[in-house]
Amino acid sequence: MALTGRAGLVAAVGIVVVLFAPQPGAALAGVCLLLAAGIVVDLVFAGAVRPLRLHRSGDTLVRLGQEATVELVVENPGGRRVRGLLRDAWPPSAGARPRVAPLDVPAGERRKIAVTLAPLRRGDRASVAVTVRSLGPLGLAARQGDHRAPWTVRVLPPFLSRKHLPSRLARLRELDGQHPALVRGQGTEFDSLREYVVGDDVRSIDWRATARRHDVVVRTWRPERDRRVLIVLDTGRTSAGRVGAAPVPMAGAEAGGGGLFVQPDPRPAPGWPRLDWSMDAALLLAALAARAGDQVDFLAYDRAVRAWVSGESRTELLSSLVNVMAPIEAELVEADAQGMVAAILSRAKRRCLVVLLTDLNPAAMDEGLIPVLPQLSSRHLLLVAGVSDPSVAAMTARRETAEEVYDAAAAEQAQLGRRRITARLRRHGVEVVDAPPEDIAPALADAYLALKAAGRL
Amino acid sequence: MSVVTPQAPAGQSHPASPTVRSAWRGSRLIVLLGALVVLVSVLGVLLGSEGTPERRLDPDDTSMSGSRALAELLRDRGVTVDRVDSVAAAAAKGAAGDRLLLVTDTAYVDEYDLAEIPGDRLIVGDVFGLAALAPGVRVEPGGARPRSREPGCGLPAATVAGSAYLGGIVLRGPSGSTGCYPADDGHTLVTFPSASGVITVVGDGDFMTNQRLAEDGNAALALNLIGTGKAVTWLVRPATPPVLDLPGERGQSMYELMPGSVRWAVYMAIIALGVTAFWRGRRLGPVVTEKLPVIVRASETVEGRGRLYRARRARERAADSLRAGTIDRLTPRLGLASGAGRHEIVPALADRTGQDPQQVGAALYGPPPADDAGLVGLAGYLDFMERQISEL
Repeated sequence: MALTGRAGLVAAVGIVVVLFAPQPGAALAGVCLLLAAGIVVDLVFAGAVRPLRLHRSGDTLVRLGQEATVELVVENPGGRRVRGLLRDAWPPSAGARPRVAPLDVPAGERRKIAVTLAPLRRGDRASVAVTVRSLGPLGLAARQGDHRAPWTVRVLPPFLSRKHLPSRLARLRELDGQHPALVRGQGTEFDSLREYVVGDDVRSIDWRATARRHDVVVRTWRPERDRRVLIVLDTGRTSAGRVGAAPVPMAGAEAGGGGLFVQPDPRPAPGWPRLDWSMDAALLLAALAARAGDQVDFLAYDRAVRAWVSGESRTELLSSLVNVMAPIEAELVEADAQGMVAAILSRAKRRCLVVLLTDLNPAAMDEGLIPVLPQLSSRHLLLVAGVSDPSVAAMTARRETAEEVYDAAAAEQAQLGRRRITARLRRHGVEVVDAPPEDIAPALADAYLALKAAGRL
Repeated sequence: MSVVTPQAPAGQSHPASPTVRSAWRGSRLIVLLGALVVLVSVLGVLLGSEGTPERRLDPDDTSMSGSRALAELLRDRGVTVDRVDSVAAAAAKGAAGDRLLLVTDTAYVDEYDLAEIPGDRLIVGDVFGLAALAPGVRVEPGGARPRSREPGCGLPAATVAGSAYLGGIVLRGPSGSTGCYPADDGHTLVTFPSASGVITVVGDGDFMTNQRLAEDGNAALALNLIGTGKAVTWLVRPATPPVLDLPGERGQSMYELMPGSVRWAVYMAIIALGVTAFWRGRRLGPVVTEKLPVIVRASETVEGRGRLYRARRARERAADSLRAGTIDRLTPRLGLASGAGRHEIVPALADRTGQDPQQVGAALYGPPPADDAGLVGLAGYLDFMERQISEL
């Protein structure tokens, strides 16, 4: 049951009536009885909410930053018209609009209501309840009831770095020798022999084969194929730190807004978590490696395995990856590097390229990865990619006042530690990619292409 | 591995609100328990209303803090005890003849009107307006804890009674007064003759209560002080405070001038308020909660370290960091190995920038700056050298 503003208005008019009535006590009783009678009539003659049937259809998957539409069909099998309000209750970060929709379903008919979701976070968003408020004929009172009409929309990572994919695929084709330009393929794996055509690099002529035949024969090369790439995502506490500017709106990515008694935060907006930037880079790398004919596996780990994708076909790989990535959030615990290495070693039997997406945080690295690094780098080729913080670089450059100089010194200290850990990793034969958030995905793709061109996979 | 895609259910819905019957079934225990509690409390109030609240030092009160026992003792001895709760009643009694006025509370009476009443006067405890009722008696600051005290004076009423449970306010009487039961710098019982009669002030009335009357010489002291043979006018706090009316012209109060319908209109307004509150208060569906991720900037540790440097004025550490950063960046640009030391870097840098080697050496390896201005200057100079090298 619910009352309307009209009921309140009637009661307010009643005050005036009682004030000027010759018999105020009787007038009060009369107004109250009238109001109560109106409410009872409304409740009796309002369309029933309980028998309503709701049917849902629409999107179940949406990329962060895009909008999904979920349709709700309200079927009224009862004998009275249901007129009033409908609220489809979604979590706040699902960004459901409209919050409350008007509803008017004649008896025995059905009406469709479209709810647009503009999610602000990755993960699964489920509708909690649908509430219908059915007004009575007088508009004084309404019947109200909840329905469960379950529907879940999975919000996937946006994969914004896919704009870099065409240029990297062109580079890959160059390596492959498939590029229209007549340059020698830089692959390292012997492919086949074919006749020399004008324009071929004379260095690729195979003299032994040429001597056997009457024609000049060149060797063709192609990059290695069917190598294994294992992408490991560190979901520990360091991946929760927010860096950069959010390219797509995300909950918490805006600058802290001021309130009535709260000063607005003067610092720049917090941006995206490192985890999301790393996911973006991992998706670009996976797309590129799959096109290059390599087998891509994916592992997310902090103190336990959060996600594991293996043996997916080239066409299914990306959709599998975004699906398992969607619900992953950064855990506020220190990542267990030893457990991570053990998980990698138990899953990767053959030599493979292990791409570890983590933060190059000296304190965490010194105690975590560095001691167990030899176990990993002796059996696999390791590439560590870390998202650097552009605001620390900006702090290094600001040196006007004493306060800024102290901040710049602290930022220098942080960057020195980062450079030290990078140098230490490189001494262990580990490839390191350290790039600001916007560049991490293409930089990682380039590092992969460089390794492929060098035949180090 | 199998990918867990979100389940797209067939779209079947079911009502989630409880029906009237299921709501009753689910909550009947709570409703019945609540009704029981309400019933018990209503009955308790109705049955318990006969027991009146405690009225301290009231001759009609039989509770621990009342004085019914003392009043009965006085009546047994033939002393008339008249209980009054207003100045007017006390004055009417006082006009009838020579009486003893026993004052236990003056919260709702005018002390100057009370002081007008002739005859002996016994003031018990820390009453309001003591200065008017017992002129010349001063109250010492602090006060004394009520306990059994010895008389320590020549007043017959006290010496006969012996030790008594006294304390409360500490008094100092005017010249010519007798003080008994000493405490600290004064006495807890002071008696002196005045123009209208003998005025006696007692620091605390506990010795007169039903609880304490049987202890020590309490009863004897009370009977000696009150039972002097005169009739007693016993002034107590009224059960209901007198209504302070502000009558207008012709003695009509504001409520009498108001039309009768206003009261009903106020009741209607309360009902309207309730209806409006229910309209606004009824929520359309449940409150949806959600687990939110923590929002923390990655640069917060660096900012915190900067604030620590600032708070401790850690110029040495700050200068070391700035220098190390500059050397780190310049070494490869100068064509030196990463492990190059002072003797390689300083000449190379001085040569490339055209600066004085002494100055360059002091900037990169010298002592830490003495003050903040020096630190800012050092940072600026290091910046300048880096720009020089990168522009070359």
